[in-house]
Amino acid sequence: MASKPKLTYLNMRGFAEPIRYLLAYANIEYEDRRINPVDFPQEKLSLPYGQVPVLEINGKMINQSNAITRFVASLCGLTGSDDFEAFQIHAMADTIMDLRNFFGDSFWRPIEQDEEHVQARKEEHLRNDIIPFYLSRFEKTVKENNGYFVNGKLSYADVMFAALELHFSNCLEEDITSSYPVLKELVEKVNTIPRIKEWIDNRPITEF
Amino acid sequence: MHKRPWSPGAISAVSRFVLRQWRHSRLAYSVEEHHCSACTMAPKYKLTYFNTRGLGEPIRYMLAYGDIDYEDIRISFEEWPKLKADSPYGLMPFIEINGKVINQSTSICRYFAKQLDLAGKDEFEALQIDATADTIADLRHTIGDYWWRSEEKDKPKKREILVNETIPKYLSRFEKQVQDNNGYFVNGKLSYADLYLAANVEYLSAVMKSNILDGYPNLKALVEKVDNIPKIKAWINKRPQSYY
Repeated sequence: MASKPKLTYLNMRGFAEPIRYLLAYANIEYEDRRINPVDFPQEKLSLPYGQVPVLEINGKMINQSNAITRFVASLCGLTGSDDFEAFQIHAMADTIMDLRNFFGDSFWRPIEQDEEHVQARKEEHLRNDIIPFYLSRFEKTVKENNGYFVNGKLSYADVMFAALELHFSNCLEEDITSSYPVLKELVEKVNTIPRIKEWIDNRPITEF
Repeated sequence: MHKRPWSPGAISAVSRFVLRQWRHSRLAYSVEEHHCSACTMAPKYKLTYFNTRGLGEPIRYMLAYGDIDYEDIRISFEEWPKLKADSPYGLMPFIEINGKVINQSTSICRYFAKQLDLAGKDEFEALQIDATADTIADLRHTIGDYWWRSEEKDKPKKREILVNETIPKYLSRFEKQVQDNNGYFVNGKLSYADLYLAANVEYLSAVMKSNILDGYPNLKALVEKVDNIPKIKAWINKRPQSYY
């Protein structure tokens, strides 16, 4: 019998949480391996591209959170009903990833001593420009699509946004959806899907 | 075949060319590709990007491979700020399909790849191909950060890190992957990940001012193989010239 898949990431929700949400939704048993950040420099030497998350499945180790998310979504029917709908969902998910990458750049890059002012500027830019730019467009898109990102029904783009929202809010120390009621409602809707709610209620509690 | 811009002696001519592009405003123009002489309908795909290879070229490779009609709209750097506000997320390339305008170049490639049997025979194969393309995109993004999104004073140090650490880290793994997979990235057969690398190489080499595949014979052989696919070769021979 094939061993169960293993997801390796840091001990936080972070960028792996969309994958964990989807594995929960798909009711797939997996090993949720979490690395202590202090141990990461050593651990990364054995990873395909020195990055996490990594999914070990069918004897292969595969990196790239986007691709992993998309794969798990395909296993539970959240990638649209045809190629064109899939494309729209993927493009939406990629755009959410773009926003996520701004957070990575502002909060999770190691910084030199003389770069602190640069980081402060990045954080300000993220808070004042990037978040409003993306969230106002997301708000409009979800409103125009009957409460979901694409074609009025649940897709992995919705799950991804809900899974990342808390991490974004943790980083900025504020509720990022406070001015976006439609997005707030979407996050609530996803977080109360029974299998996802069960994951949220039982997952390890971490700061990020 | 046009002279590669980073050959010795060519850099100053290319710099003058790049300066001309920046200083003179250019009208948007579109290059219509009609492969069917009897066809009078407008192409149903409209791709919009700068007049460069850059992030648009992988999509153009896919469309060439599939012999798919499209309008290849190229806009100048001066035109872009005006169009940006009306574009989906202020980013290019984007494509218009069935009245919808969608960005995200890798997803656009994947959409066409599915139609052309280049996206894997099942979901697990698709995952491996996607992961490879995304990793190539990561490398491209890091190189792009150095060139387009850094301050001048930081560039020498960033370039050093790229040349000595980042690029070798990625390319040595890609080299091994292609070697282990009979000359292709995944499972010994052509996928859009192979086209993705081939379409990116000249742009990345232009930014780094040297052929980034020097020292990686398996990757060079793969890119050569892709660039010699007849429909892609035909595209390369007739596409507009650009430095990036």
